Amino acid sequence: MGFLEKQFQENVLTTKVDWLLNWCRLSSIWPMTFGLACCAIEMMAVGCAHHDIDRFGAGAFRASPRQADLMIVAGTVNFKMAERIKRLYDQMPSPKYVIAMGACATGGGPYYKFGYTVVKGVDRVVPVDVYVAGCPPRPEALLEGLMKLQEKIQNSSVIRRPARTA
Amino acid sequence: MDFQGIHDRLQAIQAPGLQGADEPREPDPENKKDKGRFGDPFVLVDAKLLPAFLQVCRDDERLNMDLVADFTATDPAKDDENLWINVQLLSIGQKHRLAIKCMIPKANAVMPTSVPVHRSCQWHEREAAEMYGITFEGHPDPRHILLPDDWVGFPMRKDYEFPEEYHGISCK
Repeated sequence: MGFLEKQFQENVLTTKVDWLLNWCRLSSIWPMTFGLACCAIEMMAVGCAHHDIDRFGAGAFRASPRQADLMIVAGTVNFKMAERIKRLYDQMPSPKYVIAMGACATGGGPYYKFGYTVVKGVDRVVPVDVYVAGCPPRPEALLEGLMKLQEKIQNSSVIRRPARTA
Repeated sequence: MDFQGIHDRLQAIQAPGLQGADEPREPDPENKKDKGRFGDPFVLVDAKLLPAFLQVCRDDERLNMDLVADFTATDPAKDDENLWINVQLLSIGQKHRLAIKCMIPKANAVMPTSVPVHRSCQWHEREAAEMYGITFEGHPDPRHILLPDDWVGFPMRKDYEFPEEYHGISCK
């Protein structure tokens, strides 16, 4: 990496702090064990051997929000659950990411018009990083959503830029 | 027993609240406006006497209706002034079933609870209560079962209007 390369002994690697931290984060996204409806079945399929989300380092489904980095909102969010989702999101340590999986979590889906208890998109409750389309999405679609999230993490920076002043 | 046999037996033992019976029929070929009636045959029962009726159906040795397979309500139309209570009774021993329908006015939707007769009615009545705004007098646990405790309105009523927001989350 630049002029620092080959300046040290063997077994020393040089890199950027951003690259290293992002690489650590994106290679071990631990999702929360959290399914709301039929999308959760597809999420379980992603976790199983055939599709194997562990290839991306995201196979450790944690039973506690305090150990999780990623919340996959897999299914229909109703108002009773929305408050719990908000609380679970608040309990997750930063940096935290949210994938809205499927039509219901993205925008209400088939319940948009007549679902009196369905939240029209989980982004009204928690900030969403990646939306995965489908009803329910194929496991490949969720994996692509995860890869999109990894891209997003890769492009983030630990250095906080000063706030823009007018 | 088939429906006719059950109905005859109900009349023979003078089941309380029995008001009549309705069976499906073919449309009248002479009258084009008549579309007939589809679906199951049912007996019409006075809602105030439904628990007593269920008890008689349960305790009679020929009827022996020991299971409430379904207990729910229907809002037939916006301008209809009645709600329907639909009950499906099943006899496991006798291998027959019976559909019951009750009418209660929307303006005063109050009826006695059937929980002392069939404990399995508890959750069914709680659901009917929160969805249709029916008050079951004497229910041992009249909380909401599916909706949040502070939900306003009865969603399965035909004249239900969606809330604007719930706890700060927009519903539109």
